[in-house]
Amino acid sequence: MAEVLTARSLAIRILLCLAVLAVVMCLCALMGSQKVSLKKVLAGPGKSPGENIDYEILVGFRLPRVVLAVLVGAALASAGVVLQAILRNPLADPYILGISSGAGLGAITAVLSGATWSFWGGSPIAAFAFVGAIITVWLVWLIGRATGKSQITNLLLAGVVINAFLSAVIMFLTSIARSDQVYSTIFWLMGNITEKSLSVLGVSAGCILAGTIGLFGVSHRLNILSLGEQEAKGLGVDTVKTQIVAFALAAFITAIAVSLSGLVGFVGLVVPHGVRLVCGPDHRQLLPISAIIGGAFLVAADTLARIIVAPAQLPVGVITAIAGGPFFLVLLARYSRKISWLK
Amino acid sequence: MSSIIEVKDVSFSYVPQSTILQDVSFCVKAGTFLSVAGPNGAGKTTLLNLLCGLLRPQAGSIVIDAAHIESYSVRRLAQKIAVVRQEFVPVFDFTVAEVVTMARTPYLGTFGFDGKTDREAVNQALEATDTAQFAMRPLKNLSGGERQRVFIARAFAQNTAIMLLDEPTSFLDLKHQVHIYDLLKAAQLEKGKTIVAITHDINLAAQYCDEILLLTGRRRAMQRPENGTEDPHSYFIGKAKDILSPAQIEDVFGVRVFTGKVGKENFFIPLGRFAKDSGQANSS
Repeated sequence: MAEVLTARSLAIRILLCLAVLAVVMCLCALMGSQKVSLKKVLAGPGKSPGENIDYEILVGFRLPRVVLAVLVGAALASAGVVLQAILRNPLADPYILGISSGAGLGAITAVLSGATWSFWGGSPIAAFAFVGAIITVWLVWLIGRATGKSQITNLLLAGVVINAFLSAVIMFLTSIARSDQVYSTIFWLMGNITEKSLSVLGVSAGCILAGTIGLFGVSHRLNILSLGEQEAKGLGVDTVKTQIVAFALAAFITAIAVSLSGLVGFVGLVVPHGVRLVCGPDHRQLLPISAIIGGAFLVAADTLARIIVAPAQLPVGVITAIAGGPFFLVLLARYSRKISWLK
Repeated sequence: MSSIIEVKDVSFSYVPQSTILQDVSFCVKAGTFLSVAGPNGAGKTTLLNLLCGLLRPQAGSIVIDAAHIESYSVRRLAQKIAVVRQEFVPVFDFTVAEVVTMARTPYLGTFGFDGKTDREAVNQALEATDTAQFAMRPLKNLSGGERQRVFIARAFAQNTAIMLLDEPTSFLDLKHQVHIYDLLKAAQLEKGKTIVAITHDINLAAQYCDEILLLTGRRRAMQRPENGTEDPHSYFIGKAKDILSPAQIEDVFGVRVFTGKVGKENFFIPLGRFAKDSGQANSS
């Protein structure tokens, strides 16, 4: 009779995807402009700094960067899944409600102010971008919920208007900035995965993991919410509470991702779509698998960004956009007819 | 039999100067099939939204199973009332089984995984509505009639005492209209469900329902008319044969009808200006 998702089948699929992620992380950590020998790495750290350079490159530089890429990819993909469900719009991405322009304005403000202080190991750009993103999303939420019957439409409109307004402010500030400040801003806007301190990684990992688990807790309600508010209420879902929790957590993890890496585009749009094409739209499955695949996708993209013009590096946002589009088209062509092997 | 729905002096308006429903009062006994009919804009869907708690009345009260509707949480109300709205297609590509399983949401725990009882309820609903055959197909790939059966299966799987339906047979051909009403009648007779169905088809309503609520769309004057005329009725409720007469239908809907009989029940064919044999209007 009717087959639907069970906790056991979901657990098996998540473990399989985690295994894929682990393989991708290991392979990508070993790849780079400097060749690293796995044998030397397994020998452990040397007695003095510089004795086992392979170990130091892998553990000191590449692994933290790989972990960072996983965190950012997971956060953006999860937020994409949630916003597509809340807004009932398959074209929604984590930046649709103004978070990109808010973070961008925060970043350019940090650059123009010349701030050099460090907060918990993070740069002022990251801190300003985080605050800018959170304030903007809060404003969009207030405006969107304040008026009218069709609050989802209002939320989208508020996001579009605030995005346009803040983009204009960013352009104005860029036009009066010095050329080195403009370069820093544009580099940040393109999205970059760079090494971060362990304290930043630890705090970010905790926040993103907690946020994603929280979102998983409302994921079955997102299924219902994606049918529309009237349907959801009829099926016993407290729509306002669910929307507030999902929206706040999605905005929070997106703001953290943006403050860590700038505006990495396409992950939050393409990964949920790709996973939905393969696994179906059940958000209890879509959310965790998108998070894992989003992490793996960004690790792979960042590895390409590291090696494609080595020893120089490309912004990872360029790779996600160039690789993500065709990848998505292939998926769309292959799975547009209904598949059953993951059902 | 006790009343499972009690509506007392309910009034509702979307804007202050335009009242949609005014002082509406009626009771629905448990296990009754009530049809709600009336012209466009008479407030049928508004009434349904009031009964399922989506709207709050500005005056009067609604009691569901001996408790005020305001006292129910969204979850508890969904354990009492299932709603089938006019046909729609979800944005995402859910299968029939997934859509019907959503009906169990009011009974699920934190992470929303269904148990044995839930799966049994879903399978029974799929069987009863003859939709098990396409359980694994995406909902959007089904025809309108099949989709509507799926939504009725979902309402069955929700396992509530009351089912509210908003024009469940709009867009369906004759065979599927009858099939849907047969399903609803069977649920009423075999499972004791209380059915409240909005319909534009007064013939189907007359054939299947125990009572009909005819909303006229007329509003009472705020003050009593001075010329001694009576306030217009904003609604009528009773057995179909008492409520549906040619004169009443012409008065409420503004259209003449040809009347015939099937067994004890009247049937009505609306006649427009260019209808053939329009001279036979009200001939029965």
